Amino acid sequence: MIQNAYPLIIGTSLLLGGVAGIVMHRSDFCVVRTFRDFFLFGQTYMLRCLVLLVATTMVLFETARQFGLLANYPFPLLGPPSLANLCGGFLFGIGMVLAGGCVVGTLYKMGSGSFTSFLAFLGLIAGSVLYAEFHSWWLPFARATTFCPGKVTIPQMLGVRPPFVVASVLACAVYPCRRWFRKDAWKRRSAAEGYLQPWCAAICLAFIGTLSYILIGMPLGVTTAYAKLGAYAEGLVFPEHVAGLAYFRASTLDYLPPFGAVRLTGGAGPRLDAITAIQFPLIAGIVCGSALSALLLHEFKIYVRVPLRQGASAMAGGVIMGLASRMAPACSVWHLFGGLPVLATQSVLFLLGLIPGAWVGCRILVKAVVT
Amino acid sequence: MDNGGQKVIQFDIRGQICPSTLLIALKEMNRHKEALRSGDMVLLFKTDNRDATVTIPDAAEHMGYGATVAKEANYYLITVDNGI
Repeated sequence: MIQNAYPLIIGTSLLLGGVAGIVMHRSDFCVVRTFRDFFLFGQTYMLRCLVLLVATTMVLFETARQFGLLANYPFPLLGPPSLANLCGGFLFGIGMVLAGGCVVGTLYKMGSGSFTSFLAFLGLIAGSVLYAEFHSWWLPFARATTFCPGKVTIPQMLGVRPPFVVASVLACAVYPCRRWFRKDAWKRRSAAEGYLQPWCAAICLAFIGTLSYILIGMPLGVTTAYAKLGAYAEGLVFPEHVAGLAYFRASTLDYLPPFGAVRLTGGAGPRLDAITAIQFPLIAGIVCGSALSALLLHEFKIYVRVPLRQGASAMAGGVIMGLASRMAPACSVWHLFGGLPVLATQSVLFLLGLIPGAWVGCRILVKAVVT
Repeated sequence: MDNGGQKVIQFDIRGQICPSTLLIALKEMNRHKEALRSGDMVLLFKTDNRDATVTIPDAAEHMGYGATVAKEANYYLITVDNGI
């Protein structure tokens, strides 16, 4: 056990973020596409890739757990389900479609030079700060609608051991995945240079999430860092106001990291803590990894002349996503790449909200944004 | 633009929000379907969206057109024609 786990956490986050940034840029792997392409174009390819990602992660998490590699199971920051997860997922679905990328998709697109994603990034920070203003009103709603207290995952709710439920879910996923492989339905024909097949990216991301879980103690997640960035920015202008907000004073993370001897804490407030160590390097890694990938392909270029409606949509989508990611709490990557594989009930509710939200977002997009 | 009797229309959709590239391409292919089918017109799309190099040619071919992709300086040029 090491006394100071921060160098390991920071180094791991930066490295995994960098690899994730390259993988996502090469394959254009974004959660938004999974749902948006289905609702707008009837395409299910990315939806299949998401199923593959979740199923692979499920196998890797369970294998790691069986070998005693997961220090915290389920991982920190997950809690019992509440209606807040459903509402947050719904709003998040709208926001991610309007922004043109989820919280992580926004990062890799921004890294490769997308100006609209930069606007969405600013919106994400603004939305996270906005949430802090009504956190004290939202928190009682989240608490009042919580059910199954003390039960975080579906296996816990059912009172069965995780392998049984994981095996049942996987049995359902194996048949269609195998069928798609037989029909050669995984391979996409692309003329993009250095293209990485999205199904390969799904498997890479499953390994990245598992390594994060083993080495840091939790899978990929970035949204508290957006709130923290916003708190720093707001604190420059209104330091007393920021200091007085309950959301920024709270410490939501309190855990013993793998290989660490000391508990670490962290929250959204403007201070250096575990959230800073885990999420800031991950954000920097994704942006830099994607930028490096784009530069190596000679594809890095910033186009600022975008239609006004699209710029406004990206920023508004970012604000909605930032707000929703605090209300839910957490984002699509946290819930779909990390929570679903451990069958967290919060993540299932988030997904149930996300699907109709993405549909509403698609309606708004085609009627008001891309006309 | 005119290319040996063929009318060429170019759309610069670089930097636009995802998935406007495909939505715009679909709209334009539908709007000019008669001229495209007869070979009187060619549509060119300039995009920096890597995914569009998959989705636009796929959509064009499903609609019975031909599509080619060429990498230019720091973007992709997708050409949609009647495929003959």
